Amino acid sequence: MNPRGAVAIVGAGSPGLFRASPDTPINLAEQAVSRALDDAGLKRSQIDGLIIQIGSPRGTDYDLAASMLGLNVRFAAQPWAHGRFGATVLTHAAMALSWGLADYILCFAAYNNSSFGRHGSKERPSYGESLREGGGPHAETPHAGLTAPVAGAGMAAQRYFHKYGINPGKLAAVPLAFRRHAMLNPEAVMRKPLTREDYFASRYIVEPLRLFDCSVPVDGSVAFILTTAERARDCKKPPIQLLGVQGIHAGPNEFIFGQPGLGVNQSDVFDYKPAGADDLVFRMAGVKPADIDLFTTYDAFSPIVLWALERYGYCKPGEAADWIQNGRIELGGELPVNTNGGFLSAGHFNSWGEILEIVRQLRGEAGERQVRNAELAQWGTVVGDSIIFGRDRTGAKELS
Amino acid sequence: MTLPIIDRVFPIDPEDLLPAITPDNQQFWDALGRGEAIAQNCDGCKRTRYPIVPVCPYCGGTAWNWKTLSGKGTVFSWVRYVRSYLPEFEDLMPYVVLSVQLEEGARMFGRLLDKLDRDAPISIGAPVEMVIERWPDGRHVPAFRFATKGK
Repeated sequence: MNPRGAVAIVGAGSPGLFRASPDTPINLAEQAVSRALDDAGLKRSQIDGLIIQIGSPRGTDYDLAASMLGLNVRFAAQPWAHGRFGATVLTHAAMALSWGLADYILCFAAYNNSSFGRHGSKERPSYGESLREGGGPHAETPHAGLTAPVAGAGMAAQRYFHKYGINPGKLAAVPLAFRRHAMLNPEAVMRKPLTREDYFASRYIVEPLRLFDCSVPVDGSVAFILTTAERARDCKKPPIQLLGVQGIHAGPNEFIFGQPGLGVNQSDVFDYKPAGADDLVFRMAGVKPADIDLFTTYDAFSPIVLWALERYGYCKPGEAADWIQNGRIELGGELPVNTNGGFLSAGHFNSWGEILEIVRQLRGEAGERQVRNAELAQWGTVVGDSIIFGRDRTGAKELS
Repeated sequence: MTLPIIDRVFPIDPEDLLPAITPDNQQFWDALGRGEAIAQNCDGCKRTRYPIVPVCPYCGGTAWNWKTLSGKGTVFSWVRYVRSYLPEFEDLMPYVVLSVQLEEGARMFGRLLDKLDRDAPISIGAPVEMVIERWPDGRHVPAFRFATKGK
């Protein structure tokens, strides 16, 4: 069985993202799930698979989610409660559908951030991970005073600037582009204009990264329903197919917020030569980077956007800071990136907001920020997980 | 070679900052108490590695021995904290955390003990040396300072 296009997103729903929501995670979940069912034209009783990202205490766990939302499923899963697994949830759903473990899989993230402490502080439920054997998940080393994910990204960024002789000020193009996108997205949480002056006047959170290099934590929920390509054609909206996928890469040379070869954590120091257009996701989809109409990525911090662009071959290692200038990653540019505003301005929702944006763009539902004739879109992160999506061109349903 | 040990005075009792001592890392932490820094050295590829892991990240070898580190290295990368995330570090603002390229090959994170202005430049490649902090609970922690000139 050729996996290309075998599975599609047929339903998507979200009540939006919020700086602080009074709703509990299970209520946020219900709002997203009901919208996704309506969007797909499916009944709750048809859902027979469930994958959830971000469990308690911030979010819902799969067992109670199924019972509290009235779902009876024969396949359920839930990865480690880290943002990085957003797209992997969809890939796992595609694999489970291909193996017949379920016919309609509901995937969602529903969680609350605002009632927990700051990342890197002991009030954060995940702080204890900093003391793992070998170090924290973002290079946290509390005895050195090294805490908070932003510091791991900063450590990698500082080395990257040095290695390639990059002026750190070039980073500003990332948050400025995404803010302009967010201003066209009624659901984005940060919609005030952001100027270069605002960016350079902003304080360092952990030097070299400034306030506007860091994502905005939010509460919220997003749900998707996936099914096989054949079943997808009977749903209400044009199916958005998964044309190519690849998983999160891990190993001594992979660091969550840094490019391989930068020497963060155990990573060796070497000149990184990414697979780019030869990566599995492109080969499976049968397309090249130049064919992609829009790109979305994990922009918890602005430098990791550069490394994602380099990893997938949009530009060469060390060149992204120049490549992104002059509107190239903005709407109307060569490769619009995070057209919803991304984690930096729409809100940090672990890829769910960005994949929802891909669904809307490929369906032609993106309103003022619609990319004209968008047919192929890629999600891809600095650690290698990626999905290339495309509108189903074989079915009878055409956009009006 | 014995490294300097200095007392670290905290504004509050430190809590939840150190990884648990395990059979794998006990010798590393014990050595710091003697003024010595050690790291794993691969029997196969002879490269030194840190943090402590059972398999060599460079060659996959599982046989290794401890190697004493000179404590000498250079700044590989750095970040500067300008606001506090942890109350134990509140009194040190602003402080710098280094990734140090040790001369034996491994890299290690450690706080820079030199007190610098908030906007003082830090040169990647600058020579540093390890200093060991003695904490009130009896644990010892690696940190770094700029290498003394003429040494």
